[in-house]
Order: sequence, then C-alpha cells, then structure tokens
Amino acid sequence: MANVITASKLTLAYDGGRKEIIKHASFSVRKGEFVFITGPSGSGKSTLLKSFYGALRPKEGKLTVGGLDMARIGQSKLLELRTHLGIIFQDYKLINEWTVEKNVVLPLIIAGYSTDIQQTQAKKLLRHVKLTEQADRYPLELSGGEQQRVGVARALSKNPFLILADEPTGNLDEYSSNVIWDLMENACDQLGSTVVVVTHRIPTIFNIPYRHFIIENKGIYEVR
Amino acid sequence: MKSVRDHLMFLLPLLAILLGIEFFLVFNRVTQSSEEKLRESYSILVVSEKAMSLKDFRRIDPHIAEAAPIPKARIAKEIARGMKNTPDREILAALPHFYNLHLDRYLSRQSVERIRQKLLAVKGIKKVETFGENHRAKYNLFLFLKIIFWSFVGLMGLVSIFLVVKQMEVWQMAHRERMQIMEIFGAPMLLRSGVLFRMGIVDALLATVITAGIFALLRYYYAPISGIEILMDRQALLFELKDVAILGGIALFIVISAVLTVAVKSRGPRE
Repeated sequence: MANVITASKLTLAYDGGRKEIIKHASFSVRKGEFVFITGPSGSGKSTLLKSFYGALRPKEGKLTVGGLDMARIGQSKLLELRTHLGIIFQDYKLINEWTVEKNVVLPLIIAGYSTDIQQTQAKKLLRHVKLTEQADRYPLELSGGEQQRVGVARALSKNPFLILADEPTGNLDEYSSNVIWDLMENACDQLGSTVVVVTHRIPTIFNIPYRHFIIENKGIYEVR
Repeated sequence: MKSVRDHLMFLLPLLAILLGIEFFLVFNRVTQSSEEKLRESYSILVVSEKAMSLKDFRRIDPHIAEAAPIPKARIAKEIARGMKNTPDREILAALPHFYNLHLDRYLSRQSVERIRQKLLAVKGIKKVETFGENHRAKYNLFLFLKIIFWSFVGLMGLVSIFLVVKQMEVWQMAHRERMQIMEIFGAPMLLRSGVLFRMGIVDALLATVITAGIFALLRYYYAPISGIEILMDRQALLFELKDVAILGGIALFIVISAVLTVAVKSRGPRE
C-alpha cells in the first residue's frame, strides 16, 4: 500500500534551526491507516503535525506528504495540498464571525463549490455530527464539545485523503470525546482517509486496529 | 451599525486624502492659469542698435518665446513733435530698434535678472528694462499662497495616511485569525482578503463619488451664483471629468496597497 507520509532522517527545529525538536526521525504512514502519535507535553507532537501541513519546514532530512517534498514545496502547491487535508485542532480554530454551517463548508468555499453543493454537504455533515439544529448559530454560542464536532465536520467536508488531528479531545468531556473518536474512526473505515492523531493518551474505545508511535528524546519510535 | 462604523473608519481618511488631492488639482489649475495671465501681461523691453529676430533672442535664452518689434514710426512721430526743425525720417534713421520680449512662462526674479544680464552682454543691445517690481509683488504673493496651500495639503495627507495605517492595524486585529484559519485550509491570498477588498473597493468608490460630487457642485451650482469674482472667472477649473479617473485611481491604489499589506502581515507563521 502506498505511503501517504514518509519521513527519512527528519529533523525539525524552531528559532531559525537553533532549537531542535525532532532529530533524525524515520517513519512512514500508509494509505488508510489510523495512527496515534503520543508523547509527553513539549515532546514535539504538535510540531510534527505542523510539518505535515507545511507550517514548519524540515531542517534536515526528507518529509513527503501525498508525494510532495515538504522542504521544497512552493506556496501555491502547499495551499493546494492543504485543500485535500482535514485538520482538527485542540482549540477548534473556528471562525467566530461565521455561522456553524459556513464554518463546516469552509473547505468547499475555498475549492469554489457552488452554494447548492455547499448547502447539501453542510446538511449531511451537520446531521452526521448531530448539530442540525445549530446550523445558524455562531461558534461562541456552542459548548466546547459542539465546537469540536463542528471542527470535525469541517475536516471531513471535502473527503480528505489525510486527516490530521492535534489533541482533538484535549478539552472535552467523555461523551463528546467518544463522539469525536467515532467520527474519525468512521472517516478512516468508511471513507478510506488516513488519520494521524497526536495526543497525550490513547482512548480505550477503539474498534479498529491502529499503529502507535511515541516521541521520546527527539526520536520517533513505533510501539505497536 | 458595526458595518457602518467599519466603513466610516476607512472612508473618512480616504475622503480626506482625496479632498486634499482634488484641492491640489484645482489649485494647480488656478495657479497655472493665473501664471499664464501674468506671463501674457509681462514683457521685457529691449533697445538694440541692430535689428534682431526671435531666433537671435532664443539663441540668447530659450525662455524667450516671442519678440515683437515696436514700430519705430510711432516713436519717431512722438519725438518729432518736440523738435520742429528735424524731419521724421532723420529721427527714424537715428532711432535704435525696440523689442517687446515675452517669456514662455513666468520666471522668478533671479531668472529674469539672468536673462537681463545675458541680453546686456550681447553686442548692440543698449538697454534692457524688465519692469520687475509690480509683477514681482504678484508673483511673490503667488508663491506664498502656494507654499501655504501645499503645507496644508501635505499636513492633511500625513494625518490621513496615519489614520489609514491605524485602520490597517484594526483590520489586521479583526481579520488575522480568520485569514490564518483560511490559510491553513488552503485559501489563496485573494480569497482570504476578499472581505477587505470588497469593503475597501466600496469605500474607494464612495470617497471618489463624494469628492467628485462636491467639486462638481461647486463648479456647476455654487460658482455661477457665488458672486465671488475669482470663482466665477475660473468655474471650468473647479472640476474636470478627468479628475474622477485620477481620484478613483488613487483611491483604488491606496485600497489595494492597504489590503495586500494586511493580507501579507496576517499570514500564518511558516518556519
């Protein structure tokens, strides 16, 4: 099966390359896999995820995402790659001036889909995340769990080939967390999306087989 | 209400800039026309022993645009009136050549003096009269008004630019998060800043229409009935159609520069 992400002797650093976070890491993620990356706070989990969507360029080594070299990728190619990703953040990153429905279809707006398609897809996704009644409300009027469900719906709206989630249930209660994990599991299982989740703790509810990497002393090791 | 306030915050400084520019255009036209009148009424008298053509004078100084010979017959007749025994033709033969020189534009005192010196240095030219004082007083008043006006417009422009920069900071604070989220999901810069472009372009059009409207009203409705001589004489200079294009172009340039600056400064970090 083809690799969606390939890292070879990857080094990631901040402060113009002075502060190394990940050093000489090699790993790969195959198409359709569900992968957890765990590690203690400050170990570089979020940094690694940022490099997958091009917010951080590799300092050394090679990183490819969807076959694109992330060290050499140009701005327009990078933006195009991002339109095929679904990204979920711990702090949701919703646009507070937009309604829930408009937030959900952001990737479709960017891709230039017609209003009809946007509305149809929004209805379907909001039903899927059980937020149909909240379509016309604004993110700040929702609970944390509801906001994250909006974030997940947005990530799934364009059937991405790769879903990246950064502590997606970090701020949520157990019920909301279980809903979010279910949604991502379904995306992997039914849509065939590759899912990479960075989190400090793997939930116990998983029904599908997953791979598990751990970040330790700037290295990335597979534990399962 | 918030939307109206957002528009006004950018519209007002933009309007101030455009009003300053339109004042500048009008003032420039008025001063040019007045300078032209000054130039037309101004001449240098030259007395020369030999006959000279415009070409000769232009060789001495290129600012000399016209050289009109003053008919000697009239002068001879005037002189002959006081000298009964001398025939006109003898006087005519003894008289030098007189020329009225007109310049291509109204020059400063120093420049006119330079021309005078150049003329006097030419063999055969006996006298040069520049009649400077009367015109010089008018010209100095002109220069004074120009300096005062340009200082005022410059100050107004600076304050307005400062307000536009402040508004850009407000835009950045209000829109940075949204623009960064859109960038994460792959939105190109034009889409990310679309809201600002739309708002800015509306403000640019409004500011252009308001400014042009004010000056058009001045030209077509106020000036003819104002009773103010300087306005009534120069109605046509108060507003020209090409001003709309100039104002619109400048307003759009300011808007595009401001929005692009905000969009670039709001880009997400990429290390």
